[in-house]
Amino acid sequence: RGGGQLQRLQLLFSRGGADSRGARQFVEEAASDFARQHPDVVVYISPRSIPAPLLVAEYLNGTVREELIASKTSEEIVQLATKLAGHSGLDIIRIRKPFHTDNPSIQGQWHPLTNKPSALTVQGPRLQPQ
Amino acid sequence: MVVLSAARWVRSRLTDRFWRVQEVLKYARHFRGRKNRCYKLAVRSVRRAFVKSTKARREKKRFLRALWITRIEAASLEHGLKYPAFISNLIKSQVELNRKVLADLAIYEPKTFKSLAALAQRRRQEGFLAALGDGKEPEGIFSRIVHHY
Repeated sequence: RGGGQLQRLQLLFSRGGADSRGARQFVEEAASDFARQHPDVVVYISPRSIPAPLLVAEYLNGTVREELIASKTSEEIVQLATKLAGHSGLDIIRIRKPFHTDNPSIQGQWHPLTNKPSALTVQGPRLQPQ
Repeated sequence: MVVLSAARWVRSRLTDRFWRVQEVLKYARHFRGRKNRCYKLAVRSVRRAFVKSTKARREKKRFLRALWITRIEAASLEHGLKYPAFISNLIKSQVELNRKVLADLAIYEPKTFKSLAALAQRRRQEGFLAALGDGKEPEGIFSRIVHHY
């Protein structure tokens, strides 16, 4: 724990293809700067023949997040990549409670026999009905 | 050349109707009956569900407070105190715990709650002595007010 939770960033784009133009410019200009600024992130550049260019982010807890970068400029892709590098891999859903404990009770959780006299619970050999 | 409107012989087709419909249906999937499948019924149901959830945020606060009060009442009755006596005497003893925390203590820390009930009971008795037995008994210890300036 501590430091960035982003493990690897895969940039899938196509060599021709008009919507990969921003991705190709990003690869030429800003990809190495980004990789140098985030030394704990592994950046994979894979030119393939895919229909739409993707940025796949994988986190240390196993979450995989895919973002479309079709028809985005190089600066926008840099902003998106820095945003993804700042995320932890937790799901982006509504958090029900802002707190959580594994041990909520220290004195023992209440049960119907907590405040009753112990003659009801104790079963001893010498306990005679009075 | 500036063109402000498309030529008359150019027509456009709606190609992503499926995704526009799915955006609404995804919030209706757990509903009952045809309104979880049919778009026309689902639009109305989803809108009403959102409106109800917005308005219910104000009711939730009232509901939770009533729940906490019920739980504190049950726990203090186990120790022989009624809820108004318990709360008023805790406030008079300068114990500024809110109902949420008191309910959690009653569930998870029963011994702490028992000691709080004993404190409220003692303060109650001192209040009775101060009101009824004027001048003869000394002032109660738990009735002293601490000023944090």
